[in-house]
Amino acid sequence: MNRIDQLFQNKGKDILSIYFPAGYPNLEDTIPTLQLLQDKGVDLVEIGIPFSDPLADGPVIQLAAKQALDNGMSLKKLFSQLKDARKTITMPLILMGYWNVVFKYGVDAFLADCQACGIDGVILPDLPLEEYEEEYKAKFEAHGVYHVLLVTPETTDERMVKIEKAAKGFLYMVSTSATTGGAVEQSKEREDYFKKVASLDIPSLIGFGIRDKQSFQHASSFSDGAIIGTAFIKALEKGNAAEFIDALL
Amino acid sequence: MTEHLKIKVCGLRDKDNLKELMELPLDYMGFIYYSKSARFVGDDFDADILKSIPSDIRKVGVFVNESVEKILLLAEKYRLDVIQLHGDETPNVCKTIKDSGLEVFKAFQLNESFQFEQLESYHKKCDYFLFDTKSESYGGSGKKFNWQILEKYKGETAFFLSGGIGIDDVEAVKEFQHPKLIGVDVNSGFEESPAVKKVGLVKEFVKSVREKKMSDNKYAVNDRGYYGQFGGAYIPELMRANVDELRENYLKILSSEQFQKDYARLLDNYVGRPTPLTKVENLSKRFGTNIYLKREDLNHTGAHKINNTIGQILLAKHLGKKRIIAETGAGQHGVATATVCALFGLECVVHMGALDVERQAPNVARMQMLGATVIPATSGNQTLKDATNEAIRDWIANPHSFYLIGSVVGPHPYPDMVSRLQSIISEEIKEQLVKEQDKQNPDCVIACVGGGSNAAGAFYHFLDEKEVNLVAVEASGMGVDSGETAATITIGDVGFIHGSKTLLMQDDDGQIIEPYSISAGLDYPGVGPLHAHLAESGRAQFLSVTDQEALDAAMVLAKTEGIIPALESAHALAALEKMKFTKDDVVVLNLSGRGDKDMETYMNNL
Repeated sequence: MNRIDQLFQNKGKDILSIYFPAGYPNLEDTIPTLQLLQDKGVDLVEIGIPFSDPLADGPVIQLAAKQALDNGMSLKKLFSQLKDARKTITMPLILMGYWNVVFKYGVDAFLADCQACGIDGVILPDLPLEEYEEEYKAKFEAHGVYHVLLVTPETTDERMVKIEKAAKGFLYMVSTSATTGGAVEQSKEREDYFKKVASLDIPSLIGFGIRDKQSFQHASSFSDGAIIGTAFIKALEKGNAAEFIDALL
Repeated sequence: MTEHLKIKVCGLRDKDNLKELMELPLDYMGFIYYSKSARFVGDDFDADILKSIPSDIRKVGVFVNESVEKILLLAEKYRLDVIQLHGDETPNVCKTIKDSGLEVFKAFQLNESFQFEQLESYHKKCDYFLFDTKSESYGGSGKKFNWQILEKYKGETAFFLSGGIGIDDVEAVKEFQHPKLIGVDVNSGFEESPAVKKVGLVKEFVKSVREKKMSDNKYAVNDRGYYGQFGGAYIPELMRANVDELRENYLKILSSEQFQKDYARLLDNYVGRPTPLTKVENLSKRFGTNIYLKREDLNHTGAHKINNTIGQILLAKHLGKKRIIAETGAGQHGVATATVCALFGLECVVHMGALDVERQAPNVARMQMLGATVIPATSGNQTLKDATNEAIRDWIANPHSFYLIGSVVGPHPYPDMVSRLQSIISEEIKEQLVKEQDKQNPDCVIACVGGGSNAAGAFYHFLDEKEVNLVAVEASGMGVDSGETAATITIGDVGFIHGSKTLLMQDDDGQIIEPYSISAGLDYPGVGPLHAHLAESGRAQFLSVTDQEALDAAMVLAKTEGIIPALESAHALAALEKMKFTKDDVVVLNLSGRGDKDMETYMNNL
């Protein structure tokens, strides 16, 4: 069984997912950071594949990605770092990145390497659902790699049905109309949206704008858990990643 | 900007027959209110029958020398959308009916001796003409006239072809080319008995006429937003609702009567179109051929960019948007956007690379004077690519804004929408060449390409005219192999940028390479998907020109013709040096903009 499904089946609430870019702040930090997150009790990790033009990301992740690229990070390098990760890392792992990098790497090679490294799913925000289903779905499934889909407050009900049907593992529920790292205001409208997505037949994690224990708990009260990216990267930058996670849990 | 040939089925009245026909994708259904016709609907025709016709099929009432009073009365009773006047009605009668809010078709019966001058007083007083075969009675002859006569028709009002068209005429209809042909009107050629149509035959006709029309235009975008393998909408879910809204509405709005009217009016009276097609004698002599410049530099705001911003601002207005986002490189698109926002009283936010803000200070000042907020993009190389990223991020954060893209790039429908709005350039070239050379098609059209909007506009109406050689000119900066270049087609490969699958400059890891060109408007690492397709299919020839070659070409034009071109357009001019012409060739070069904004660069380099 895919580790993502296992996680949602066994735990099913207050799931904490952490995002950080591979090769940040230093090129060889990827594996140590994974180990730290596992030791601290994080449930799920999304490893960012750095890209020169990250459209959906705010300034903190943009800069971190640029730093990682300047450090020499690439998809090839990432797979070489992850080669032995499964000897010690047991939590589900997701790769998150932009489609151009994967396409250039070669979709078949990418999926084969994901499978070889024990990657459970990928988040490719700019690979449209329609193109995925038509051209790539069979390949992803053959390698046991989940294509995790996003929903946003602007997603129409009609499209939500389509996404629910196609989704695997969980839905990445974008909290607000913003790029990553923005603030989330609380409102009736927002809560209605959270409830609507939470009522679907697939688990969901809330991401974008989750930054501390309070916002994590608030988000988790509407869904199966939440994703923290920008705030964790700031902690990595300051060298207090462990303290940051301790304060969350 | 016709989507497809409109199809009108006329002479209907049978209820069951109507029900079947209304399932077909027809544009118009015609009902004859003329008692001498074999297809007269009758005095007691049931108005309820017409109610069930879907609203996207417009209902046409056909009248012959009827009183305006009675026409309006019947129009109301039967909820008619269109009045077709098939007798000897005067221009004033047409105007009176049109002024009442109805669409008006005026029919004329043609034969070899038809005097086209008589149509002049009808322009603007009716929406379309309908050209039928001359007969003793008022139409309904079931015979075709010689369509070649229509070569003499040069008027502005679009027309329907009518008279005896049947299923055997599909090929002829497809072959028939006229810039003002808007649709075909069919009637007796498809009948079992008077007023009863053979539904299967009509269906086949509609299908084959349109199929051919679509596949004929090999370089048009398909319904999923692709040009060959390029295009699509590779966007995060965060932008999906916005892009979908636009995709679902743009064609409807662009083809609406209101839009067409407003767009044409603003292009005429505000932008200053049509722009001249200038024969440049000295340059022609120099290259031993006939060179014409399409003078987009003479548009208001100094470049072709405003053709697009005028169109998109009207679209934004139709969609009820109040805040406009744009990206800009050299600042020409930013200025053109700030201009239309000022005109329409809309909030305007322009993202511009921080480096370009410095390089193009006069344009920043212009945008600010026009009331826009200019936000410097500080990510990446701080040029156009980064400004585009920031504009997209702004749109994600403000989904109720309208993103007014300046080139034929971005997710579908932007490349198609911007191409259509710029296609006015080639539409005018065709009309102007007829006056100049008595031919519509030049031998060669040359334009510079960054994202590719001026080239898309200059090529648009020639894409399917195989004999026209299309030449796109990229900026190679310090040279294609120098690492300091923007020659995407030459050194790029397949990838994804700003929501579109296209050719782009990237490294082996799929990271996008920062482009370089002396011209800020060509300094882009991607290219519109249409151009990627034209390159891949070999339909267009792609050349590249260095900074220095462009500077030299600008000097030649200034010194010999008294025209200072924009640095972007200077790249197109420099391509002339790399091509061979004969003395009879007709070469049209799109002079996309004027050089005022580049004076500092020129002075530093010459």
